[in-house]
Amino acid sequence: MNFISKLIELFTTVKYWEMIFRGFKMTIGISLGAIVLGLLLGTVVALVTIAKNSKVMFIPKLICKIYITVIRGTPMALQLFIMAYVIFAIRGFPQMLTAIIAFGVNSGAYVAENIRAGILSVDIGQTEAGRALGLPSSITMMSIVIPQAIKNVIPAIGNELIALIKETSIVSMIGMYDLTMAAKNIGSGNYMASYIVPMSVVAVFYLGIVYLLTFCIKMIEKRLRAGDKR
Amino acid sequence: MISVRNIFKDFGDLRILNGISCEIEKGECVVIIGPSGSGKSTLLRCMNLLEDPTYGEVWLGDKLINDIDPYLHYDAIEASKTYANLVSTGLTRDEAIAKIKKEDLLKKHEGPAFKKICREIYEENHLDINIARSRMGMVFQHFNLFNNLTVMQNLTLAPVKLKLKTKEEAEAKAMELLRRIGLEEKKDEYPSKLSGGQKQRIAIIRALCMDPEVILFDEPTSALDPEMVGEVLDVMRSLAKEGMTMVVVTHEMGFAREVADRVLFISDGQIAEEGTPNELFSNPKTQRAKDFLGKVL
Repeated sequence: MNFISKLIELFTTVKYWEMIFRGFKMTIGISLGAIVLGLLLGTVVALVTIAKNSKVMFIPKLICKIYITVIRGTPMALQLFIMAYVIFAIRGFPQMLTAIIAFGVNSGAYVAENIRAGILSVDIGQTEAGRALGLPSSITMMSIVIPQAIKNVIPAIGNELIALIKETSIVSMIGMYDLTMAAKNIGSGNYMASYIVPMSVVAVFYLGIVYLLTFCIKMIEKRLRAGDKR
Repeated sequence: MISVRNIFKDFGDLRILNGISCEIEKGECVVIIGPSGSGKSTLLRCMNLLEDPTYGEVWLGDKLINDIDPYLHYDAIEASKTYANLVSTGLTRDEAIAKIKKEDLLKKHEGPAFKKICREIYEENHLDINIARSRMGMVFQHFNLFNNLTVMQNLTLAPVKLKLKTKEEAEAKAMELLRRIGLEEKKDEYPSKLSGGQKQRIAIIRALCMDPEVILFDEPTSALDPEMVGEVLDVMRSLAKEGMTMVVVTHEMGFAREVADRVLFISDGQIAEEGTPNELFSNPKTQRAKDFLGKVL
């Protein structure tokens, strides 16, 4: 009964809603920024890693390999701390931008591996057919391989983006006011003195965001698969 | 037209091609046969450099399309330090060249200066590989139509992107060719909706859309259901009749016998025997050819 009465209290208090809304804006902002940055970075890194070995590409390829290894091999929270307290420890540097960069850079490493796998999953015969017609490798890649690869990697990238959105909840560790922080604040002793109610409500918000994203991914996938048998 | 000179191809320690030379003349239909694993497909793929030969040269017309092979170019050998050293020890020109070739001395002893000489010879003679490929069509065993494009886009992509034709010209040509093989109503379909025979016929006209000088066929009927083999062979037959230069790797001995001007029998990475279909099929000279034909005919 206590749960229900607290729930009613939360739903009827404007101040709580304001807090949740403030956190919601922050979560959405960080997520969107990080998604865009992660996709861009991931695509570039994937293209570099699959490029043929040559003298010019040696250094960029090495950098990309180190980037992927380090980012995937260390905890996200640690990366966030390093970004916030070491790299961007400049007074007045917008915290939100720090978070966007931290999550974008993190997500980029995973996206890069997904895209690389997608490109490798396209039959080598497609590349050969393009090259045999006299198309340079750049056109073969852009017109033939990548469009097919994207179709293959959309589910995996969707997975990664969902994980990214939920992972943004750790920004409260560097004192940023996102959805999770809002729930914590509302639940703390001064206000409601119960965590379970605001946490549950905020969980529904996360669920909503993720559901919306899943829906968008499904639509994109459906359009891309228009030419397929399956 | 295509001239393959002393080609070697190694995959790791495995030597697939072991010194093959052959000439494909304009207007000729050459069929390559041989047991599986003998290197016929590799030879064909070396002709448009989908495989890079380990040694040897590939020429299209009078232009070199792969890197220069120093062992084939006597002026390269003569410019090398190794040659100068050998001659100074008293060897004649021919002996020195023979010794260098036999003991693979260039690879062991030559430095950057020699590489520069090879580079210069190459630059004098070479033709850009993409231009060379646009003049040589290729048809694959597994069709390799672009899955993300419709039939029409498959046909027009390369000529338009390479600016050989405008979009309208390319489409007109594609329609004409589609009509010829009786598939004009499939022009907006994706490849996944076509049968194997239809895919392969479209792959053939995709090569034709580039107005190639020669078409290479890599086992074009091996991945087809038996009842679809005929329709693909019909298209190839009509091409041969029109005087298209063709190089065909195939297991279809009937086709080889009927259409080929010349048959190359490849075994263990070498041309074991070559001749007109009549000579080779009815009266093979080598034991290896006899064994092979005994099994497949």
